Amino acid sequence: MMEHTTRAFDVDLQDLTRMVAEMGGMAEKQIGDSVDALVKRDLALAQRVISLDPKIDALQREIEDKSVLTIARRQPMAVDLRDIVAALRISNDLERIGDLAKNIGKRVAAIDGEFYPQKIVRGVEHMADLVLTQIKEVLDSYSRRDANQAVAVWRGDEEIDAVNNSLFRELLTYMMEDPRNITFCIHLLFCAKNIERMGDHATNIAETVHYMVEGHALPDERPKGDNTSTTTVAFRS
Amino acid sequence: MNIASVQSASVPTPTASRSAAAGTHEEKISVRNLNFYYGNHKALKNVNVSLYTRMVTAFIGPSGCGKSTLLRILNRIYDLYPNQRAEGEVMLDQANILSADQDLNYLRARVGMVFQKPTPFPMSIYENIAFGIRLYERLPKSEIDGRVESALRRGALWEEVKDKLAANGLSLSGGQQQRLCIARTVAVRPEVILLDEPCSALDPISTAKIEELIDELKNDYTIAIVTHNMQQAARVSDYTAFMYLGEMVEFDATSKMFTSPVDQRTQDYITGRFG
Amino acid sequence: MLKLYRARRRRNARVIFFSISATLIGLSALAAILGTLLYQGLSGLSLDVFTQMTPPPGSDGGGLLNPIVGSLIMTSLAVVVGTPIGILAGTYMAEYGRYAKLSMVVRFINDILLSAPSIVIGLFVYEIMVAPMGHFSAFAGVIALSLLVIPVVVRTTEDMLLLVPKELREAASALGMPRSKVIQRVSYRAARAGMITGVLLAVARISGETAPLLFTALNNQFFSIDLNAPMASLPYVIFQFAMSPYHQWQALAWIGALIITFAVLALSIVARSLTAASKG
Repeated sequence: MMEHTTRAFDVDLQDLTRMVAEMGGMAEKQIGDSVDALVKRDLALAQRVISLDPKIDALQREIEDKSVLTIARRQPMAVDLRDIVAALRISNDLERIGDLAKNIGKRVAAIDGEFYPQKIVRGVEHMADLVLTQIKEVLDSYSRRDANQAVAVWRGDEEIDAVNNSLFRELLTYMMEDPRNITFCIHLLFCAKNIERMGDHATNIAETVHYMVEGHALPDERPKGDNTSTTTVAFRS
Repeated sequence: MNIASVQSASVPTPTASRSAAAGTHEEKISVRNLNFYYGNHKALKNVNVSLYTRMVTAFIGPSGCGKSTLLRILNRIYDLYPNQRAEGEVMLDQANILSADQDLNYLRARVGMVFQKPTPFPMSIYENIAFGIRLYERLPKSEIDGRVESALRRGALWEEVKDKLAANGLSLSGGQQQRLCIARTVAVRPEVILLDEPCSALDPISTAKIEELIDELKNDYTIAIVTHNMQQAARVSDYTAFMYLGEMVEFDATSKMFTSPVDQRTQDYITGRFG
Repeated sequence: MLKLYRARRRRNARVIFFSISATLIGLSALAAILGTLLYQGLSGLSLDVFTQMTPPPGSDGGGLLNPIVGSLIMTSLAVVVGTPIGILAGTYMAEYGRYAKLSMVVRFINDILLSAPSIVIGLFVYEIMVAPMGHFSAFAGVIALSLLVIPVVVRTTEDMLLLVPKELREAASALGMPRSKVIQRVSYRAARAGMITGVLLAVARISGETAPLLFTALNNQFFSIDLNAPMASLPYVIFQFAMSPYHQWQALAWIGALIITFAVLALSIVARSLTAASKG
């Protein structure tokens, strides 16, 4: 795209993009580290995740300030305006993702010492890998302003929801088998839920990227597969 | 992307309006296939645009794009000068004003114009307004007094000048003079008001007052405004037309034009990327 | 750098010196003329000058009543005849026919007439009016003078109307005002001061013209307001009396010159102040 007649405007917009990308990188790392800490039961790593979250929050506030200042200064129109609004919304989503990762980190301490089976753990890891890929893809689509890539991410949430469903069932089964499992199963349930929420935030970011590039929102009907809210498992004694 | 497809995509045409859903507007002025020449130089190329009744339409574009030229065709003020001719159709309520038997004075009574430079006549404030009224109507002085007052009120000037109606029009400040010109135009009860960069010679506060005025006036009049200030166009208008090198590049609702325009040239212009 | 600066300052000072000297020379010439006039004419100025007719040669007393009256009549009539023609022509050139070829031709001819020798005008009017009529007359004098008034009025009217900004006319037209009303109510009103100045300048010009009257109105020793007969005029009387050997006549000539000069001076000052008022 052609440069602005006022170069400083281009610099402002590039700064915003850079800050969002930086925040995205930090969020990705937090996700990876928090799931790692969960799987390997690494308390120190979990503690680091928790202590790094304020940095993400600070960066989000910076992005917000810069966006507001750029709007005041430049009276942006059309694609520039959508750029700035996108930066604001994406930074919100990334900040929430950071909080969810921190939450997972907190739970690592809570289930320290408990035994949990590998199958469940691997399920959680698998879902986390899917989500990490989604987030990487969507942040890439933001940097490259690629609406098609964003739409692909938007559609890809279905798979994550499917994994979440099966995890949900398994955890329910475990809890019914043995009441001693309930503690760690509940915590794992929340962790799985958090990871699934991260996936939802990734699709939010995808919708924002699409709006930024195309100028109109994606249609309402997103392929959704999360039916954990209606899942039941019959009790078999 | 050619203009016709842009237009049919975003603007309801007259035939479509009867069958289309609600949300279409009545056309007050319809410009069709308009070409304009200064001598041998073609200044407007096949322009198509509509002004909708009781809406504000803004014309934006870089210098020399033809927006003022287009405005000056709508009340045929170009007729004052030789070597300028227009071809095509400009329909005011279904009658072509470019036809040779159009009564120009009657046309200009229906389509008023306010210019970039405030031009009060060298007379008292009262006379400035009464002048136009007396052209068309024979009214007793008391009625003219009333009309002058209501015109000055509509021009948001009454409170400031009610005690000095006999003062010369030239003794007012720039912003007041421009509001006087607007009051003068409104006094003859036109149907359409054309504004050619009305605020470019004024300070921000006068500009804001006039923008507020336009907001009120559009309840009764169809308004077209040429402006080189894009933010003003975004603030004030319902529809915006972007022109470039004598062509109508894009014409759409302001809300769409300034958030997600269709044509790349439009986007480049309104975001300040013009070469 | 300082050297250049100083050299410039020196040159500046030299030029200023010469400019002021030239001005003083010009002003002193003017002062000398006015001074001489005052000196020679003021002493003889009395009420008689304005009430008595021109005396026969060699006698004492008498005044300048008939030439003053004659000049007043012929000047005002010339203005009455010439001004409307001049204003209408100027209006055509500035308003209706601004871009027409005819305007260019008229402007060119007008400029020539503006600086035409007034004696030529006088001879012309002699040929077309005095000879056919068989006698000199004030009529012919009025025509000759109006032929001098017209170019001045045309020029100033056109110039002043051209100065009216086109936006003003467009604003009036945009209200639906017909062309003629735009001109009358707006253009004329805006150019009013300038146009009046033009008329005053024309009056100042013809007040002192002698040559055209030589062949048309000639002169009249007696009091006459008959337009069909020769009429006295101040310039002519000055011409006649100044070259005569009679003392009284010479004195009266000085007085006449004084009257004309100060009348023209007053008119010019009025014209100037009108222009200044309209600009201020």
